Amino acid sequence: MLMQIAEPGQSTTKEACKQRVVGIDLGTTNSLVAYVADSSPAVIEGEDGALLPSVVHYAKDGVVLVGKAAEAMALEFPRETLTSVKRLIGRGLTDLASIRGMLPYELEGDDRAVTVRIEGRSISPVEVSAEVLRELKKRAEASLGGPIEGAVITVPAYFDDAQRQATRDAGRLAGLEVMRLLAEPTAAAVAYGLDRGAAGKYAVYDLGGGTFDISILKLVDGVFEVKATGGDSALGGDDLDRAIASGITNGAVEIAPRGLVAQTLREARRVKHALTDAETVEFYLNVASPAHVRAEVIGGSPGVTIVHELITANADRMHTICGEVIASAVGKLNSDATTCVRCIGAAGVFARTITRADLAGFAAPLLERTAKACRRVLKDAELEKTELDGVILVGGSTRSPVVRSFVEGLFGKPPLSDLDPEQVVALGAAVQADVLAGGQHNVTLLDVIPLSLGVEMMGGVVEKLIHRNTTIPAGATQTFTTYADNQTGFDIHVVQGERETVDTCRSLARFTLRGLPPLIAGMLRIEITFLIDADGLLKVMAKELTTGMSAEVEVKPSYGLSDEEVERMLIESFDHAEDDLAKRNLVVERVEANRILQATRGAFESDAKLFEDPEVGVDVRTAGEAAMKSLEIAVAGEDHLAIRHGIEALDLATKPFAQARMNRAITAGFQGVSLDDAEKKIGR
Amino acid sequence: MVSPSTSEAKRVSAGAPDAFGLLGLEPCYAIDADTLEKAFFERAKQLHPDRFAQAPVAERVAALSKSRALNDAYQLLKKPAPRAEYLLARYGIVIGDNERIDPALIMELLEEREELAEARHAGKLVLVEKLQASMKARRKAAFERIGVLFAAGERGENLAAIKAQLILLRYVERYLEECDSALDED
Repeated sequence: MLMQIAEPGQSTTKEACKQRVVGIDLGTTNSLVAYVADSSPAVIEGEDGALLPSVVHYAKDGVVLVGKAAEAMALEFPRETLTSVKRLIGRGLTDLASIRGMLPYELEGDDRAVTVRIEGRSISPVEVSAEVLRELKKRAEASLGGPIEGAVITVPAYFDDAQRQATRDAGRLAGLEVMRLLAEPTAAAVAYGLDRGAAGKYAVYDLGGGTFDISILKLVDGVFEVKATGGDSALGGDDLDRAIASGITNGAVEIAPRGLVAQTLREARRVKHALTDAETVEFYLNVASPAHVRAEVIGGSPGVTIVHELITANADRMHTICGEVIASAVGKLNSDATTCVRCIGAAGVFARTITRADLAGFAAPLLERTAKACRRVLKDAELEKTELDGVILVGGSTRSPVVRSFVEGLFGKPPLSDLDPEQVVALGAAVQADVLAGGQHNVTLLDVIPLSLGVEMMGGVVEKLIHRNTTIPAGATQTFTTYADNQTGFDIHVVQGERETVDTCRSLARFTLRGLPPLIAGMLRIEITFLIDADGLLKVMAKELTTGMSAEVEVKPSYGLSDEEVERMLIESFDHAEDDLAKRNLVVERVEANRILQATRGAFESDAKLFEDPEVGVDVRTAGEAAMKSLEIAVAGEDHLAIRHGIEALDLATKPFAQARMNRAITAGFQGVSLDDAEKKIGR
Repeated sequence: MVSPSTSEAKRVSAGAPDAFGLLGLEPCYAIDADTLEKAFFERAKQLHPDRFAQAPVAERVAALSKSRALNDAYQLLKKPAPRAEYLLARYGIVIGDNERIDPALIMELLEEREELAEARHAGKLVLVEKLQASMKARRKAAFERIGVLFAAGERGENLAAIKAQLILLRYVERYLEECDSALDED
């Protein structure tokens, strides 16, 4: 290596004017900033401690409040106080359909990007996040006594390109030079590796406010190698709050009016936190206004009316109100329609005693989803859980004893939380910022792509070029050929996902290699190359090897791919792994069989006189035709092995004929006729 | 004329022309995973793009492509099956997507698949686990056999026998995938 690299410890000039660079954990619920002082990272405290609530309040007079001050406004101004915007960043309206109804503020926008409607103006989640980042920047500058020159901002390992790009934009908007976006679990591992000297194989279980990541890393002598990563990018503390609220109200909150939802969720979160220290807590709601009533027709048996009551204290009053709403809902229906109506109302006091066991029950389905992701990642990393040296807890949600005991049960060992799970990500990010600025730490991060990349093949199956969990930067080259004779264009469809068929993967880009020489199927050699850089961005190149014709395209690998899609695609791919394989095999064999049938039939026709050759004979024709018939029957069926056997039988039956044709082609070649012409002569 | 696999993509032995060389190692099947990892980590530290964050553009680009080639080489060599395939490819022996396999063995494998499918449909997960364990043992034996064959010398008949083992391993892997999906269902 002759490149000039500042060797660790030799960068004396840099030390003298050490850059002011920070690590920022931009969280769903809380954010914080850290800095490497002498050699170890430390969190920079604000007036109210290290954690800055990721809450922004837009007041009517144009004043913007961030953090605790904004949080204090949430009850009074739910629509002007934005929480959990990390769930919105880089997302489109359709991505957010499932949580839209549970948000206290109004969403607008299109399928590519959402905005929030506040006081007649539209505010992008990027702007909201930038407010949070600006606040952290201010805090860091005050503490470090000068302008911040660069920042590493962390993102969930499962964040897609649009979400990463939007996060980067928020950094820029806040006036930060974003040096790198770093995966949160990786950052946490860095902090443990340095501070605790952790070495070996670790699982990082990161359950935050809105996302769940699970990564398995190997830590050796300054190298942090991500072995596998996975997660559930729409699963976090917010969802736990929802599960609690839904469980306590017996599902009623799901159809409650917006204001009541916000109030119930807040109480659910309070109860969840209180259960960290207490064994039992009272869930208590006092709803002053009886106007919180909503009814909806949900279908069901004719004439059946279901009344869901959130609050029973003032039952008579509730029934009166609900009755009116139901009557008007039913009145809108035709007499023969099914009329099942759910009604939710609230007035007065609603109180329930909640135990840790209740909480565990409400959380169980969500935690089971994390367990599934964990098992999958262990399998991807080819590790048994007993081989892990430790499990690291990250994210505010892992403070809960319910979550901790679940993780302990899952991995069979008590998880590590000696570094504050809410600070550890920012600490690791600070170290990485220091490394990028030429600092002293001996840290090399080897990260991976979270989802496989491939191209569409004939019949709609996917050929993966780069598999998920491949270390980046990465590259792959594969050669393809044409399917039809005289095909002059070659479509290249780049997709991402784990399933075997193209309709179940995410489409990333399409491009065409044109002007190919018209040759028989299978003659052309088209080489496709995928290149992924250190930021996970994909570039695709295609080249026809005999003519040298080429085309290339830059692809942002997961642009617009929603988290739910990432998740859904992964889950489905595992649920349908066997289906897919069979389906794929069947498609591949059918395509192959039809191609061979067509070619054989054509050759039999055009070269019928070859059967007069004693080396071949008419028996070959009879046998070949019989084999074609059986193959046709197999193609009509569903058994890919039968098709494969049919192809082999046909191959065997027509061998003498094929041999005779080949001999003639070769003879033609020796006589100075191009192979192409020879093929034409022999009837292709 | 009837040539299977023309409509299929043909795998080109991945990018690295000299995967072992990139890692500073002699071509060898029986390489210890720790040795391989150590060689990779040492070089990854030197070449990682993060180390060149402050370097001129040309150096950053060069580091990126070297780093990529190194990662590809490691990816190729770290698992025994692709490593063996890579070693065979040096002798021009390539395993296609539709390799022929001894018909008797096909019958045996089909019967085993059937047995697994029956166990799966009957929900006999304990049996599935048992079948999985025995197939894993078979996988282990195949890799051991490959190791013995490589050690015996990279000659014609040994290479052919290695190829046969690798083809068998593809069936074994599919079988094991099916076991996983059966056990994952609940």
